[in-house]
Amino acid sequence: MLKIENLHAAVDGKEILKGINLEVRPGEVHAIMGPNGSGKSTLSNVIAGRDGYTVTKGGISWNGNDLLAMAPEERAWAGVFLAFQYPVEIPGVNNVYLLKAGVNAKRKAQGLPELDAMDFMQLVREKAKLVELDPAFLSRGVNEGFSGGEKKRNEIFQMAVLDPKLAILDETDSGLDIDALRVVASGVNKLRNAERSIVMVTHYQRLLDYIEPDVVHVLADGKILKTGDKHLALELEKRGYDWVRAEAAGGATA
Amino acid sequence: MTSAVQSLRDAAWQMYEQAGLPTLRSEDWKYTDLAKMKAALGEEWWKPAEIDSASLIDLAEMERLAIPTLDAYRLLFVDGRFHESLSHKPAGIEILPLAEAIRENADLAGELLRVDETSPTYTGLVAANSALAADGACVRIKAGIVLDKPLLIQHVAGRPGAAHICHGLWLGERSEAHVIEHYCGVGETARLTHAVTRVYLEAAAVLRHDRLQMEQPHHYHLGRLEVTQQRDSSFESHSIALGAALSRVDLSVLLAGQGASCRLNGLYLIGGRQHADHHTRIEHAAPYCTSREHYRGVIDERAHGVFNGKVIVNKGAIKTDSAQSNANLLLSKFAEVDAKPELTIDNDDVKAAHGCTVGQLDKRQLFYLKSRGLSEVDARQVLTFAFADEVLASLKLPAVRRFVERAAFARLPHSDGLEEMLA
Repeated sequence: MLKIENLHAAVDGKEILKGINLEVRPGEVHAIMGPNGSGKSTLSNVIAGRDGYTVTKGGISWNGNDLLAMAPEERAWAGVFLAFQYPVEIPGVNNVYLLKAGVNAKRKAQGLPELDAMDFMQLVREKAKLVELDPAFLSRGVNEGFSGGEKKRNEIFQMAVLDPKLAILDETDSGLDIDALRVVASGVNKLRNAERSIVMVTHYQRLLDYIEPDVVHVLADGKILKTGDKHLALELEKRGYDWVRAEAAGGATA
Repeated sequence: MTSAVQSLRDAAWQMYEQAGLPTLRSEDWKYTDLAKMKAALGEEWWKPAEIDSASLIDLAEMERLAIPTLDAYRLLFVDGRFHESLSHKPAGIEILPLAEAIRENADLAGELLRVDETSPTYTGLVAANSALAADGACVRIKAGIVLDKPLLIQHVAGRPGAAHICHGLWLGERSEAHVIEHYCGVGETARLTHAVTRVYLEAAAVLRHDRLQMEQPHHYHLGRLEVTQQRDSSFESHSIALGAALSRVDLSVLLAGQGASCRLNGLYLIGGRQHADHHTRIEHAAPYCTSREHYRGVIDERAHGVFNGKVIVNKGAIKTDSAQSNANLLLSKFAEVDAKPELTIDNDDVKAAHGCTVGQLDKRQLFYLKSRGLSEVDARQVLTFAFADEVLASLKLPAVRRFVERAAFARLPHSDGLEEMLA
């Protein structure tokens, strides 16, 4: 279980997250929505362990362990996965090679034997189908020359192969046309199961039409201002974010 | 030795004595200090290794130094001397060891060893090589001949002292060959390999040339490759520097005939206190010639890399198409590189591009790899290797590519099991 308690985080000395509280149980899909600059991406990056973010207060535990004390690769071995908003291109590093190194590093950390090449390729081919990824992309450099949609598809493909217990999808819908969105969303839906927690960070309600969340949170000004079910997302789509802010401010003064 | 060759050698030695070794005061040598070499080898740095009858290396050692699975003809030089018995010469190609040419063929030896003091790349070293080169390979490929297998010129070094070598490659019209110069060695003592290769490509000749410098950590390496290209000829080079305490390679290409093209690729991957210097010079002297240059450097610890890429476009060389890029990766805060493109263009009808970068590993790429489960060490290793492999990927022979990749990979810190990324 992911448990975030009173999380404060700063970038370049500026406080972005100002006390986040969040619990995600196995099998749950949470959506975190919010306007630009609300701290959505900061939250994703802090969970994945990117450099440059300083946690000034509070903490994150993952299955009872202190997530913030772990290096990014240790988080990956513990089952945490971030689907990047802007996946970076890595020319010269083969897509499949990266996944094989990732899968085997995780197995090694868990005391399991490495997958043999045949079993691994079978796994890869099976998962590529899940997001309708052209097999030609497997042997290319990581994201090298991929379109925006192909990059996002590749992220979900990697998620499928790495089989995380916690997946953070950071603006996975941005830059996708409607057909690509359907494919990516259907891939994610097939990856939903009773053990896996999924946190979708998104600006738009559109993604939630295809991946139905169990819980929706509104993140604004570095805090979760409101939590509800999928109907909250629809209301946000209709009314924008200002009413949530006003309500929260009213609640604070009341 | 014929008296004509003797007097040429005497004159060359006088030129050397007059010019001396290049010093830091010379613009082309300001980053490479041969005083260090002199300190290691002594005032008589040039003194040839003493060759006795006992063979330096045995067959088992040769096996260890070989390029695995490479199917090639081989000319073996041990401490600068040709070893006929361990060589495998191609039939139908004229190959004469320079030592023999010096004794018996004054014209050939003279053609190869003649020193042009007016050449823009002339230094005392060039003269010293002509004065002292004891052996080498004179290879003449007649018009229309396509060499069916690559020709490996392997240099094994080990004895203290200097080996001065001079090779000549003459490719006739429409002939084609792939030549690999492999410099390797054994032993812990300081020594010098001083190797000059002169290449003459007649019209429409095609030469692929891989120069692999993998000398021992205490060895010094001074190399030179001079190429003259006639009409429509094509030259593709890979110059790899992994070994030696100090290495310097001067590569100059004269595009003398219309429509000639050259492609120069290079990689220097060094650590410790290694010093590797690549000076290249491409002169466009005829119209419609193309030159491409792509050098990369990976510099770790306290190593020092130098790249200088001159491109000269003469007045009459219209429709020149030239592009150069040099990228350097510094892996430690003590690593150093001096990189400089130098374009001199004397006419307006030219396409010339160049780019030069010096940087560290990309933090975003590192984080991406780690977020997928790669350890810090492996992520760094993978990115470093991928950077270097951009150059190695264009090595045409799979056996050579694998060989160099493995040697480069072995130089980088990594976890066990990561080698499979080379598979």
